[in-house]
Amino acid sequence: MTLTQSVLELKGEMLMLNVLRLYDINIENIESALQLKRDEAPMFFIQSPIVIDCSNLGEQGKLLDLRALRRILVKMDFVPVGLRGIADGMRAAALAAGWNILRTPARPPSKDKKVLAKEKKSSIAKSDIESEKVADNPVEPVTIQKSNMTIERPIRSGQQVYAENADLIVLSQTSAGSEIMADGSIHVYGPLRGRVLAGVKGDTTARIFCRSLEAELIVIAGCYQLLDESDTNLQGKPAMIYLDQDKLIIEPLI
Amino acid sequence: MSRVIVVTSGKGGVGKTTTSAAFSAGLASKGYKTAVIDFDVGLRNLDLIMGVERRVVYDFVNVINGEATLRQALIKDKRVDNLYILPASQTRDKDALTEEGVENVINDLKDDGFDYIICDSPAGIEKGAFMALYFADEAIIVTNPEVSSVRDSDRILGILQSKSRAAEEGNVVKEHLVITRYSPERVDSGDMISLDDIVEILSVPLLGVIPESGSVLQASNSGIPVIMDKESRAGQAYMDIVGRFLGEKIEHRFLDVEKQGFFKKLFG
Ligand SMILES: Nc1ncnc2c1ncn2[C@@H]1O[C@H](COP(=O)(O)OP(=O)(O)O)[C@@H](O)[C@H]1O
Ligand SMILES: [Mg+2]
Repeated sequence: MTLTQSVLELKGEMLMLNVLRLYDINIENIESALQLKRDEAPMFFIQSPIVIDCSNLGEQGKLLDLRALRRILVKMDFVPVGLRGIADGMRAAALAAGWNILRTPARPPSKDKKVLAKEKKSSIAKSDIESEKVADNPVEPVTIQKSNMTIERPIRSGQQVYAENADLIVLSQTSAGSEIMADGSIHVYGPLRGRVLAGVKGDTTARIFCRSLEAELIVIAGCYQLLDESDTNLQGKPAMIYLDQDKLIIEPLI
Repeated sequence: MSRVIVVTSGKGGVGKTTTSAAFSAGLASKGYKTAVIDFDVGLRNLDLIMGVERRVVYDFVNVINGEATLRQALIKDKRVDNLYILPASQTRDKDALTEEGVENVINDLKDDGFDYIICDSPAGIEKGAFMALYFADEAIIVTNPEVSSVRDSDRILGILQSKSRAAEEGNVVKEHLVITRYSPERVDSGDMISLDDIVEILSVPLLGVIPESGSVLQASNSGIPVIMDKESRAGQAYMDIVGRFLGEKIEHRFLDVEKQGFFKKLFG
């Protein structure tokens, strides 16, 4: 065993994170709106990490009272992780107020995609972000009640589908350049060609089933594998993928 | 009942305008009252390919802005009855196409009794392309046998089925695949993706395949939709497409490398 291995282990892990997207800089408004959200599911939000996304504030963000913001978050039992999407002029004030500054993800997080399992129709991600008022859903309260989301049409390149708190069933194909995600398991009955992420919130028992395995990237509960780098001989074949001690196992599906 | 059909692809230069011109002329020649609209504001190609560029007085944007009536702007084709062209503006930008304006024009065409309204989309996935597909009932996806073209078609299909009005209302836009500039030689030599592979990747029903043919450029240079050139393979293939679209059973042709037949060699 090498030294590093005995001292520590560093690995990526999917962590459930709340993102608070601000559309207003008025602290009172933010506090009351957030309080309402929190009161909907108080247990759920206790000590849950939260990132503040300021990208919709623009230059106005400079006027936001960052100390007060931090204070109200802590008071409501959130764990403030950091700020992102801040205007240039906000940096110094942010650091002075004790905030970390995070990189803005290249790709907007899946939450923005407004594809929630509870949408009745099998809906496909719309990439536009509708502007709602303060505190646009800081992650829906999770009552782990699994349902499923069924999509009948192909999922095309550039599209993203997320089955929140649910299994995802795709009756057609998924294209190269698409991304399908589920908190539960994923079943694809046409060729599976895009990126596929099961157990997005960390469910290590989630599995992926497909009729023709041609995916670009396979992820279960944060453990990932590029198909091109895999030594599987099941490319283009029916397969089941599951997690065994942090290792992705690809098995033939009868 | 009017049908709105968008001719789209994502990628540029694949043959959308050529297909729009041929398809609309073909439908009109079969007796359907057909309008073809150029959504490529700023480039304006369709009127050239259809040989009416010298007759353009008013354009699509003028109509949207209320500077001309639809009747004033529509150009009636002199060779094919039932065929009308609504040219794009050369001097405006794509923002001139408003959703409301486009909808009004399409509704006016429907009220005028047009059977088919063909929307020739610009390349890309910006405003112009979006406006061209937004009101579509059906879509002709034009693809070349190249990886980038197939990928772009896949993307545009995604946009079509999630952002069009039909999709917003929970309906599905009917999809048709047209593969253009198909060169069996280059597929055989591995330079190009085969027909089967394209259909398999996109999983859209194949309406037809147009072979790569010099007659296309010739036709567009002389301002005559290639479908009117009965001698040309591309023209015949477009006519087949129109027939299939209207429900006729027509075998696909021009798919294999042309055998340099003995007679052809002898008599060229
Ligand atoms: N089947 C074909 N064979 C040969 N050339 C073609 C064919 N289809 C289109 N072209 C040529 O390709 C170019 C682009 O065609 P066009 O219809 O303007 O594409 P788009 O509208 O998609 O940009 C033109 O020069 C046209 O003559
Ligand atoms: Mg064009």
